[in-house]
Amino acid sequence: MSSLKIAGVANRRQQSIYSPKEALYWIAPAAVVILFIFGYSLVSLFSQSFKYDGKWVLFENFSLVLTDPNFHTSMQHNLLLLLNVPLLVILAFVFAIILFETKRGMSFYRATVFLPYVLPIPVIAVVFGQIYQLHGALNVFLHSVGLGNFAQDWLGDPKIALGTMSSVIIWKEMGFGVVLLLAHIISLSSEVYEAAKIDGAGFFRTHWSITRPQIKNTIIFFALIEAITMVSWVFNYVYVMSNGLGGPGNATMVAELYIYRSAFQNKAPELAAAASVLLFMATLIFIVVFFRIQRKSISSMYKA
Amino acid sequence: MKSRKIFMAGAIALAMLLSACSTSSKDASSDETMAYPTENLTLNISWWGEQEAPGAGKWLDETIALYQKAHPNVTIKQVLQTTEGLIPAFEAAAAAKSGPDIQYFWGGIYTQQPGWDGHIVPISDYIKADELSHYINGKVEAGFQGKIWTAPWYVNASFPLLVRKDILTANGLTVPTNWNELMKICDVLSAKKITTIAGGVKDGWFGGWIYSMLGAQSIASQKDVINAVVGTTKFTDPEHAGWWTKLVESRDRKCWNDDINSVELYQAQQKFVDGKAAMTITAGPDAPNFVKKAGGDSNVVIMAMPAWSDGPNAGKLGTSSQTLGVTSWSKYPQVAADFIKFGHTTERLNAWYAATGSLPADDRFDMTQVTNPATRAFFEATLKGIPYLENFIPAQLDAEAVFKNVQLVLKGTMNAKEAAADMQAQMERLRKTDRKVVENFTAWSK
Repeated sequence: MSSLKIAGVANRRQQSIYSPKEALYWIAPAAVVILFIFGYSLVSLFSQSFKYDGKWVLFENFSLVLTDPNFHTSMQHNLLLLLNVPLLVILAFVFAIILFETKRGMSFYRATVFLPYVLPIPVIAVVFGQIYQLHGALNVFLHSVGLGNFAQDWLGDPKIALGTMSSVIIWKEMGFGVVLLLAHIISLSSEVYEAAKIDGAGFFRTHWSITRPQIKNTIIFFALIEAITMVSWVFNYVYVMSNGLGGPGNATMVAELYIYRSAFQNKAPELAAAASVLLFMATLIFIVVFFRIQRKSISSMYKA
Repeated sequence: MKSRKIFMAGAIALAMLLSACSTSSKDASSDETMAYPTENLTLNISWWGEQEAPGAGKWLDETIALYQKAHPNVTIKQVLQTTEGLIPAFEAAAAAKSGPDIQYFWGGIYTQQPGWDGHIVPISDYIKADELSHYINGKVEAGFQGKIWTAPWYVNASFPLLVRKDILTANGLTVPTNWNELMKICDVLSAKKITTIAGGVKDGWFGGWIYSMLGAQSIASQKDVINAVVGTTKFTDPEHAGWWTKLVESRDRKCWNDDINSVELYQAQQKFVDGKAAMTITAGPDAPNFVKKAGGDSNVVIMAMPAWSDGPNAGKLGTSSQTLGVTSWSKYPQVAADFIKFGHTTERLNAWYAATGSLPADDRFDMTQVTNPATRAFFEATLKGIPYLENFIPAQLDAEAVFKNVQLVLKGTMNAKEAAADMQAQMERLRKTDRKVVENFTAWSK
């Protein structure tokens, strides 16, 4: 069965108007630019991670980074931030469905949901930094509606600061997911939904059994993009909201901030390079998974 | 004949030796006599300071204009950096070996480190020793192995406690003269839901101030701290760890505003101006401005942190100078140094005081211009101040142990013992990661 699938894909590939050699010529200019920019940076990064003061020190920098409690803490926080991904996916899916079902004013609601995603992170971080102060707008609101017991020092308390930071990240990133999923849902064939309606499928059954499987690849794509974001793309949030410290204490320290502080504040570029290599490896896992899934989905498309 | 040959050989050898000495031991006298460039040139200044000495930017613009008028071939551009951006921007410039010709540095370690890293040239190579000797705190903070890295610009009293008499009087209290009195004030005011000392540690820096104000009281000199940095003593020893217990005590006695962890210092200081806090702490150059905002000298007392120990530094203000240095990649170091020196002319020193109300870092400043007795007393206390402690520990230790642990202690998630132990652990780790820290600090202390 699987050999048949592969054969199918191969046949399609053979029908391409370009030979593999020709394809290589076409992509060569872009490949050279990418190799120059990323290749040079990567070689330089790896090289620096094995040096101190210009001299080769083998794995000493890696050993120092891997035995640094601050690095452990920052990686743990990145892993905790990964927990945001399923939440983001669920919220984005739910909001996309709600918007899809909204008959009036969908454009307005869609723009409203997408707005956070297009706002600059520093602006968001500054605004939320004010809202989340102990005497900030959120706590004032909670007190005013009789929920003062829920008021917290949202960003000042190390026990909850990372969770607070997560809420801002989710609020901003969700807009991207909603627009992405909604675009796919709108493009789905209406005949399937009409058939489901005739068969008596309700709201939940329709979207769980029809919408969800059809947009599965887009959901996976969004989940992977967000996973990469949580591992290596949250620097701006943390930097602005914690004034570049990752505080209180190390409560919001993440790997990117650790690297930045090592390189530019602690004047240890070799440790920053070693930590960057480790982070690159971690991110690479997600990238590999992403390409595998992409390849799988292309295969299934050919199959279809 | 033979003796003549020996004499000639000796003379040549002596000439070569003198020639070698003149090139290897560069000093200010040789550079100051160098011909001033006549070609058109541009100098770039990257600075900070408007944040703590409002009016500094106006003074700098004036100084640039006057200097350009006197030297029409020189164009000077200036960029004001943010607090968080000052060091990273300079580090990025240093990595590229391109950027400002004149760079602003805080004192002590913030001056030493770029010197050790080769990012700046000693200012003493370009400004004569007798001129530099007038620059306040130059030797203590910027001196290294007989050279001086950077030129002090203005003095930063580090850091005064500002006390509102109206709030104390209204609550039957007086200005505290020692730590115990301060704690009693905290008890009384906190019971009435009034903040005693307004502060903010969200951005971390205030933690370093608290360390210096409390930590300096139990040591004899900055060399004690350097000893702990190089490992001769430990940050868990009583003279280095005692201040953490005082910080815990101040937290337990509710001395601080309850939102200290979620606000930045400038936000908290507004509570003092608004009459919602009895005291605050501010940068020395900005203290006279705060006094004005909070009712003037009749209402506000500027003082050192009340003494909690009987150490030689207890109850004294710290003193530090913010400095300007010349980068190692500058094509015109002698012009950059000349511009810095120009800022120390009598007219410019007076203009600095007029623009900012703060003390220029030059002992030739005519103190009679300070007509306000309280400000004058404050300046005089600053000149007799003790070295500012935070400037004598590695910046990384400051950020990773002091800034962060002060946040945790004030929030109540770390106790004094844990904070001191963590500071010691961070220092031990730093000796491994910064493989030159011991060597550099040891050389600095000599």
